[in-house]
Amino acid sequence: MTDCNEYRRSMLADPGDADPGLEAHRKTCPDCAGFSERLLKFESRLERALRAPMTDAGAGAARADGSPRGNDPRVAAFPPRRARWLAMAASLALALTVGGVLWLSSPRESLAADVVTHMKGEPDAWRRTGVPVPGPQLDEVLADAHLRLAGPPGIVSYASSCKFHGRQVPHLVMQTESGPVTVMVLVHDQVGKPMRFDEEGYRGVIVPDAGHGSLAVLTQGREADLPAIERIAARVRSSIVWTR
Amino acid sequence: MKDQFGGNQKRARFQALCQSLRPDLLRFAYWLAGDRALAEDVVQETMLRAWKARDSLQDETAAKPWFLTIIRREYARSFERKRLPTVSVDELVASEEPMLAAAEAEDAAELRAALFKLPEEYREPLVMQVLMGFTTAEIARELDLSTAAVLTRLFRARRRLREMCGEDTGRDPQE
Repeated sequence: MTDCNEYRRSMLADPGDADPGLEAHRKTCPDCAGFSERLLKFESRLERALRAPMTDAGAGAARADGSPRGNDPRVAAFPPRRARWLAMAASLALALTVGGVLWLSSPRESLAADVVTHMKGEPDAWRRTGVPVPGPQLDEVLADAHLRLAGPPGIVSYASSCKFHGRQVPHLVMQTESGPVTVMVLVHDQVGKPMRFDEEGYRGVIVPDAGHGSLAVLTQGREADLPAIERIAARVRSSIVWTR
Repeated sequence: MKDQFGGNQKRARFQALCQSLRPDLLRFAYWLAGDRALAEDVVQETMLRAWKARDSLQDETAAKPWFLTIIRREYARSFERKRLPTVSVDELVASEEPMLAAAEAEDAAELRAALFKLPEEYREPLVMQVLMGFTTAEIARELDLSTAAVLTRLFRARRRLREMCGEDTGRDPQE
């Protein structure tokens, strides 16, 4: 049986740990549930900080002797940018091939924050309704992203092809047993593993879909039950049929 | 038999792979090095080495840890090439703060400064987990540590960060 100390230790090591023992403890311990809430918020801040734009001068890794694994309170100053021309000349053929990829993409902001920002721009999408989107409209939105849905976990009451990170992606709202849930199929945004987020009144998960980017599933309100959203996300993911 | 990224089409796939991973690799290098110019150098060298060694990437789904291994080696090499003078960490944090304040919310700046104050042995696994999405087992493999050791480092990293950022840590577990 997990105790509070063990629970908090595990959460601090990996806030995304979905171990059933931890889940069971959280349900029976309001203190630890509150701890998790605060930690989740901190985690969102942490991810935003890690993904924030890079500056030219940073506070580098600690090392006094120039070794990359030192752990000294003094740190190495950073070398001036190395003259690359010799290496570039020698590697010209390679650079021509791979060079194109080096400068094309700029670092991402927090994916969760971007999803939430997008949500805030479409308040009408959250209306609770039992009226499904006409089939052809839904099919068109999904076909743009080369997918279709086979048995989604609720009525699709909103479907739009939205611009996100410069690409058109499906933005859907499904009326589920947990209320309206927004689904964005982030075809071009990959994540390594599932992550929960709690941003500006929106709570949800972003889960990877191997080879096809990721899926953001979220809802509004502090009372939103993240494990329930995760279950919905799993059902949505398994209902997606990729057509390319 | 053709290698995985041998033909034109596969070469294009490799380029697309590099392109999709580059932003996270650049961020990882930045959090390792603390300097954008150095991070860009390291990532550029990484891409060139990856291109030369592309045949050794047999499974595209393993690309992220494959690139990460190269980037960590390149970062290590950057220190072998030149013995560097030292400055204090406080000076460097102070030099970054004004730039951050202009571009970011105050709490992001506070967190970033705290991240840079973390010892590298704690910061690196944390960045791998939060930014790169690595599992504990993947981090352990990459850093050549036991899973328990990785969990301990991650636990300490978050606890220290929370302390530095003024979070209520009164009921956080102790060592």
